[in-house]
Amino acid sequence: MVYDDTKGQMRVIEVILASLVIVFALSFANLFAVTPTSPKYEVTELEKLGYNVLYDLDKQGLLPRFVYSEDWSNLEAALRVSLPIDVYFNLTVYDLNRTQINDTPIFYGDASAFENSKNVASVTYGLVGHDSYNPRILVLRLVRG
Amino acid sequence: MRRLIVQKSGQFVIIAVLMIALMIISIAPLLHRTVTYYKHEPWEEYLALIGSIELNSERLVTLSLANYTQTLNQDILTENLEKWQIDIMKIYSGRGISLTYETAYLNYSWEKQQSLSVANVTFTLDIESIGLKGYKFTVVKLLNLTIIAIDESSIIVTVKDENKAPVTDLEENFKVIDANTNSTLEDIEVTSDYDEKEQLIYRLRLLCNCTVPTPVVVEVWSPENIRVRAKYSP
Repeated sequence: MVYDDTKGQMRVIEVILASLVIVFALSFANLFAVTPTSPKYEVTELEKLGYNVLYDLDKQGLLPRFVYSEDWSNLEAALRVSLPIDVYFNLTVYDLNRTQINDTPIFYGDASAFENSKNVASVTYGLVGHDSYNPRILVLRLVRG
Repeated sequence: MRRLIVQKSGQFVIIAVLMIALMIISIAPLLHRTVTYYKHEPWEEYLALIGSIELNSERLVTLSLANYTQTLNQDILTENLEKWQIDIMKIYSGRGISLTYETAYLNYSWEKQQSLSVANVTFTLDIESIGLKGYKFTVVKLLNLTIIAIDESSIIVTVKDENKAPVTDLEENFKVIDANTNSTLEDIEVTSDYDEKEQLIYRLRLLCNCTVPTPVVVEVWSPENIRVRAKYSP
C-alpha cells in the first residue's frame, strides 16, 4: 500500500512537469508567432498606423518643418522610414480650400496596389501653421503591398 | 503509521492540484490574447487624433505669442483661436469635432530685471463620433528672461520656459541695447555655462573694450520667435 502511494506521487510529479513544459513551450512559441492580418480589420489597422505615424512625426517637429518648407523628398523619406516596408503610401497636402500644395507626388510602392486593393485606408491630418496661422490638410492613403 | 502516510499523500495531492490550477490560470492570458486579437478597439486611433489636436492647438498658442511679442497686437490670439475652431471642423469634417476655448490670456512684463512673455488658453474638445464630450486641456507658453548679474564687460542672464527649464541654443538670439541712447551694441560674444543654481546661464561679453552701460536692456528671442526684453538699472 505504501509502495502504491509513492508510485502515485511520482505520476503527479510527472503531470506537473509535463504541464510546466507545455506552459513554457506555449509562452516561447508566442514570442515568435507571426499573427495573420484580417481583411475585415485591415483598413482600421492601417488607419491607426497612419494616424500614429503622422502624430509621431508632428510631435518631433518634422512634419510641419517639411510641409511648410515644401521639402517633399524628405517628407517621403521620413514616411518610408516610419511605416513598415510592406505598407505603400500616397500623401497629398492641401490648403483649406482643398487646393493641392505638393507639386511632386509623395508616394511609395506600386500604384496598381491602390487601384486593385479593396482595403485602402485614408487618414486626414491637420496642421495649424509654422511661423504664422496657415493650416494645411494632409491626406495619407495607405495600402498593404 | 499507515494513517500518517495516507495523510501525507493527501497533502501532496492538494499541493499538486494547486500547482496545476496555477498553470492553467497562467495559460488564461495567452488564450485571452488569442481570442481578442482581432477585436477592434476604436479608441486607439482616436488617441492620436486627440493628441494631434492638442499638439496643434499648443502650436497655435506659441505662434500667436511669438506674433504678439513682435507686433504687440493684443487681438492676435483670439483672432487665431476663432479661425482655428472653425477650420478644425473643415479639416476633420464628418467626425463631429468641436473645439472651443474658455480663457485666453496674453501678456508681457518687460524691461524689468526679471521679464517674461506669457500666453495661457484653456480648450474644450468634443468629438461626437466617439462620444467624447467636455475634454479640457490647458496650454501655457512662457519665456522668462532674468538678468542675474552685471560686471564691467559682461552680463549674465538666464532664460527659462513655462516648466522653469532652461532654454538652450540661444547663443545667436541675444541683443544688448544701451538704454540711455537706445542704440544696439553690435560686438557681443555669447557663451553658455552650467550653473548649479540656474542650471544654464548665458554670459554676454562686450568685445568693444568698453564697460557695460547702465541702464542696459537685454533682448532675447526663442527658437519659436517669442521675444522678451529685460532691463538692468543699478
